[in-house]
Amino acid sequence: MITLNRSQLVGAEFIDEGTVRFHGVQTDHIYDMEIRMDVRIPDGEIVAIEGWMKRFTNPLCPKAIEVLQKAVGMSLREENWESRVMREVGRGGCQHFAEILIECGRCLDQARMSRDLFETIKTDPGTDEGQFIHQWLEQHPEAKGACFTR
Amino acid sequence: MILGYLRNKVVEVEPQADGGLLVLWRLTDSLLDMEVQMRVQPPDLEIREAAARVKRCSTRECLSAQELVQKVVGVRVGSGLRKIVQGLLGGAEGCARLTEAVLECSNAVILHFTLPQLQAGEKLNQEERLASTRAMLKVNPRLVRSCIVFADDSPIMQGLDL
Repeated sequence: MITLNRSQLVGAEFIDEGTVRFHGVQTDHIYDMEIRMDVRIPDGEIVAIEGWMKRFTNPLCPKAIEVLQKAVGMSLREENWESRVMREVGRGGCQHFAEILIECGRCLDQARMSRDLFETIKTDPGTDEGQFIHQWLEQHPEAKGACFTR
Repeated sequence: MILGYLRNKVVEVEPQADGGLLVLWRLTDSLLDMEVQMRVQPPDLEIREAAARVKRCSTRECLSAQELVQKVVGVRVGSGLRKIVQGLLGGAEGCARLTEAVLECSNAVILHFTLPQLQAGEKLNQEERLASTRAMLKVNPRLVRSCIVFADDSPIMQGLDL
């Protein structure tokens, strides 16, 4: 029998040419958190964030919702951004909010790449995905340095 | 608005008849479908087995990364784990996804052991729960300042010298 299950679901919608909106949900037997986060694509800056704490362990936990605002202004392109999120949003507020925020952030380039690949395949169903990814990374140096699957 | 991208990630802990814990992790998104399976043995929480399977991936580099996960066999889930796993699986020749998978599997093991304690606490009244939380902090001082609930100015921390 499964005694502990954690699921993370991250969706991305491109609300305009320069902004991606992430919807992140993290739920397990103990906690249930949700965030909505807008990221400016050219520089990876978090421009807006909202959070909902739906299930938690302590009545003090919801105080962490306001701490989420510390993420506004952080860039998903800066070095060690994940550590910064964990330190400021996580240790300063709620680690589970930080976890789902980080998962959303990790999806920035995958979301862009997936969108572009989808559009390419629509017009050219025979597109070689591996070749497309390598070309895409060459054309988007800001996404380099991280594994393409990140 | 139609989503441009969707990622689904799940981790599960399943206790085995021999006392071991089977941990299953899976990630699927538009480009990748990957699984990691670990077997962790209490009481020292040593990783006894680790396997990875990349079911969908668009490049050969990613497919070869699954061999890397064997490196964590023998590692114990405990303090210093993050640095150890990053050292074994991270870096230019490593795989960030596998690193995250192993750390998330390990975190799930910790949550598996935390769950019964939290369930027991639900039966307590407010005062009993506060006393129980403070007692738990004394046993697990690493939790101090780990989140807003255990921050220095939290009512829970008042009177505690941790």
